[in-house]
Amino acid sequence: MGKSDHITIQAILAGDKDAYRVLVAQNSRSVFRVAYRITGNEADAEDVVQEAFLRGYCKLDRFESRANFSTWIYRIAVRCAFDKIGGRHMEAPGRMGSSSNVELQASLVVDRLPDPERLMLSGEIGAIRELAMRTLTPMERVAFTLRHMEDCSLQEIALALDIDPNAAKQAIYRAVHKLRQRLAPLKVRA
Amino acid sequence: MKHLNEVELIERYCGEDDFDVAQHLERCQECEEAYAALQVDFAEFDPAAPPERAASYEEQVWSRIAPLLPAYPVRKRAGAARGFWLALGSATACAALIAAGFYAGRIWEHQQSPRVVQTNVPSPAPARVVVLLSDHLDQSERLLVELKHARSDDPQTFPPLREEAGNLLRSNSKWRQEAEKSDDADMVLVLNNLNDLLSQLANEPGGLSPAAIAKLQEKMKADGLLLEVRVLRSRLPNQRTNPANLKGGAA
Repeated sequence: MGKSDHITIQAILAGDKDAYRVLVAQNSRSVFRVAYRITGNEADAEDVVQEAFLRGYCKLDRFESRANFSTWIYRIAVRCAFDKIGGRHMEAPGRMGSSSNVELQASLVVDRLPDPERLMLSGEIGAIRELAMRTLTPMERVAFTLRHMEDCSLQEIALALDIDPNAAKQAIYRAVHKLRQRLAPLKVRA
Repeated sequence: MKHLNEVELIERYCGEDDFDVAQHLERCQECEEAYAALQVDFAEFDPAAPPERAASYEEQVWSRIAPLLPAYPVRKRAGAARGFWLALGSATACAALIAAGFYAGRIWEHQQSPRVVQTNVPSPAPARVVVLLSDHLDQSERLLVELKHARSDDPQTFPPLREEAGNLLRSNSKWRQEAEKSDDADMVLVLNNLNDLLSQLANEPGGLSPAAIAKLQEKMKADGLLLEVRVLRSRLPNQRTNPANLKGGAA
């Protein structure tokens, strides 16, 4: 952690809550970016930004000085966004990242989606991409987003989602596999 | 020649491939093409730029959360009882401010709307709300689910379980002590059972073997521990899973 961050956090913990403003200013855009990419909409992303900074503030006394505040608040934001898209709700009953339960939920989502070819005929290729993303479970969506859009390592993804790296890897595999399956009809047409 | 499968190609994309995979890709045109196709597919999902934020965005975020932040008290040595009430008060304040945060966020979101936002916010959380305890129970539940599904033929999953159990054991002891002080018999019982299981999971002599895992799975099942933790968790306000309850119906 940068020395100035460390000093700022010490000041906050000593009762100077306004010092938190500095950390909010430094990190709010990156937190919004990852929140938006995970949730896919602006209003939810703003909720996540707010919750992440509030939650971060509440946990500040447990923040380890050797950690980096930016990374720490980023992880909190990922967890908040994960919860926002239903992650806690869907993943908790089964084993994270690899349960048949998760597969079942995902397949149920797929079944409710329109046929990709019909959508393509209506020229809504962008919509198909979005629908393809929606076929992913929250865990898969977050893992894929962090890897592909945020360029996070498997270790970083695992830490952010509080799972082991192997489970993170499996979530990415499943995500990529599903996304390619959904895109396949488009490529055949093209 | 054995070609690379999709998993290996994705591993390469994730930067997790080994030297052999890289070498194979250099030599094998078919796999090189397959990898190129994978990259094309990935490109379909390249991130779009998030919506632009105003130049004063940082100030906007701060102005939304600043009124909700309680100042940390000046740190002093205090008696155990006072420490407990401070901790409980702090946790309750955190719960309340997060709930209020949702509500304030909703107001902010709709501030340009002519709709009249309710100002009579229902009390966001009872006194026993402890957000940090909620997190602890969530993590414990996840660990129990992992343990429940742990397969004896997959010993690679054992060390992470052991490590996580060690981490949870420390926080569980703290919550158990606080539950004892607050005379919450149900919580003490569940946290005691959880403590026993975590302790065995974290400290099993000689590491976790398939037999030890099976024994712990049996114990967990016999104690009904997963259900107990879920029930305990359900007693706490479900802020994240049911945010609508926290927005005063303004949505």
